[in-house]
Amino acid sequence: MCLAVPMKLTAIDATGKGVSELEGTTYSVDLSLTPDAKAGDYLIVHAGFAIEKLDQEEADERLKLFEGMAQMYAEQDTAK
Amino acid sequence: MTNKITIEPVTRVEGHGKVTIHLDDNKQVTDAKLHIVEFRGFERFIQGRPFWEVPVTIQRLCGICPVSHHLAAAKAMDIIVGVDKLTPTAEKMRRLMHYGQMFQSHALHFFHLCSPDLLFGFDADVAIRNVIGVAEKFPELAVQGVMMRKYGQEIIKMTAGKKIHGTGAIPGGINKNLSIEERDTLLKELDQQIEWSKGALKIAKDYTVEHLELAKEFANFDSNHLTLIREDGAMDLYHGNLRAIDKDGNKIFDQVNYQGYHEYIAEEVRDWSYMKFPFIKSIGNEDGWYRVGPLARVNACDFIDTPVAEEARKEFMAVTNGKPNNLSLGYHWTRMIELVHSIEKIKELLNDSDLQGEDLVLKGERREEAVGLIEAPRGTLFHHYKVNENDQVTMCNLIVSTTSNNEPMNRAVSGVAKKYLSGVEITEGLLNHVEVAIRAYDPCLSCATHALGRMPLEVKVVDCAGNVLDKKSTN
Repeated sequence: MCLAVPMKLTAIDATGKGVSELEGTTYSVDLSLTPDAKAGDYLIVHAGFAIEKLDQEEADERLKLFEGMAQMYAEQDTAK
Repeated sequence: MTNKITIEPVTRVEGHGKVTIHLDDNKQVTDAKLHIVEFRGFERFIQGRPFWEVPVTIQRLCGICPVSHHLAAAKAMDIIVGVDKLTPTAEKMRRLMHYGQMFQSHALHFFHLCSPDLLFGFDADVAIRNVIGVAEKFPELAVQGVMMRKYGQEIIKMTAGKKIHGTGAIPGGINKNLSIEERDTLLKELDQQIEWSKGALKIAKDYTVEHLELAKEFANFDSNHLTLIREDGAMDLYHGNLRAIDKDGNKIFDQVNYQGYHEYIAEEVRDWSYMKFPFIKSIGNEDGWYRVGPLARVNACDFIDTPVAEEARKEFMAVTNGKPNNLSLGYHWTRMIELVHSIEKIKELLNDSDLQGEDLVLKGERREEAVGLIEAPRGTLFHHYKVNENDQVTMCNLIVSTTSNNEPMNRAVSGVAKKYLSGVEITEGLLNHVEVAIRAYDPCLSCATHALGRMPLEVKVVDCAGNVLDKKSTN
């Protein structure tokens, strides 16, 4: 299965393209499917397209899950 | 609030789709392999969690096709709570949600990812061959793509209710019905959506018919096909039994209750790939692999129960004289047949007063093990769970559609490499063709690292001694 980690929209450039950030790497994102997205929003990105804008509560819930999963990985690494 | 999120071990598993092309002593292509890093941590992550939480949790992790995972998990949990048949309102609300998802996912794939290939040709410059190029040259199509996706999303929202806590489907039913106001909002736009869908179907059909010679040479190979099927043989994307057919359309098995899927389907592990290779047990791992998704579903069903899609299915099957069509590029046409079918089903459902019913949830005798299956946009999706007496999940196994299409995608890439690699150098043309072949299957490849409409691919050419002769990436 493929995971959908929320990415933060950090800026929108003059041409309307979004810049999003995940763990220090920035990505260019097409915002035509989420026209009301603004800097600071969390997005679900698929194939370069923002396909969903998350409200803060939903983004927090999701990030919490991914952090839990990261922790599971970390524990597994330590156990090795 | 923290701005920096540290989830790197999880994001790290999502990388490029890697392709290795193997040459023999005479520098001829012997084989090509597609390496997809599949995330399998979910099965462990979910262990120990309460079963009723699973449909919501998985939806949050798999934001690309959240509804399919949500519904497959919910269908399994229905059985866990002892419910074999939902109330009419619950089943129809879930179907509406599912067709809404199918509609928006197929529209997204067609307009935003695949239409640039079809409208400009596989060899066109990638600077033009993307959705911005489509918006400039075919502005009305680009608008339709956005509006159709939005319509599907509206349906999902209205069927799901509040997002946080117990979204949409819950074990044994659904948490809301569709109000008259919601129904009327959706009905207002319906006819326009049907017309646009027919237009998209026409583009996909005309393209395939006009380029039939190319399609016959491009990633074309025989395969078995697997799908859920209704009891009368009709296509059914939400529920049914399993049917598998061979390349000629002969039934390998039919009307199999999927609770016993593991008696029919097994998963093979190969040392070079993280992703498993499912196969039909009775045929064996060598030849038992199969395709799933729109092509498999249209090939394997006896008919479609909505008029426009059924007419389109007949036209599609006529191309191969009624036998299964084994062209990878056939996925685009069949995906648009399903787009039309979905909107026709949405129309049927919106005119059904059961959606305003009040009977939403049932309960029965608790069970310990269950399988939930659904036809997701990309193909058959398997969810299998065991739950203990404390309501905790103790076992979880998923077979996602991209995994079932693993071998077919490898075959597609091999075929393209054999045809389009000359010498040892990876050309832009080869990269394009590999990308187009994989894209036909609409795989759930990594999402985060994707450049606009471009598949994150890394292609290597390797000789028989293992030396890398050339290497190129798409971004």
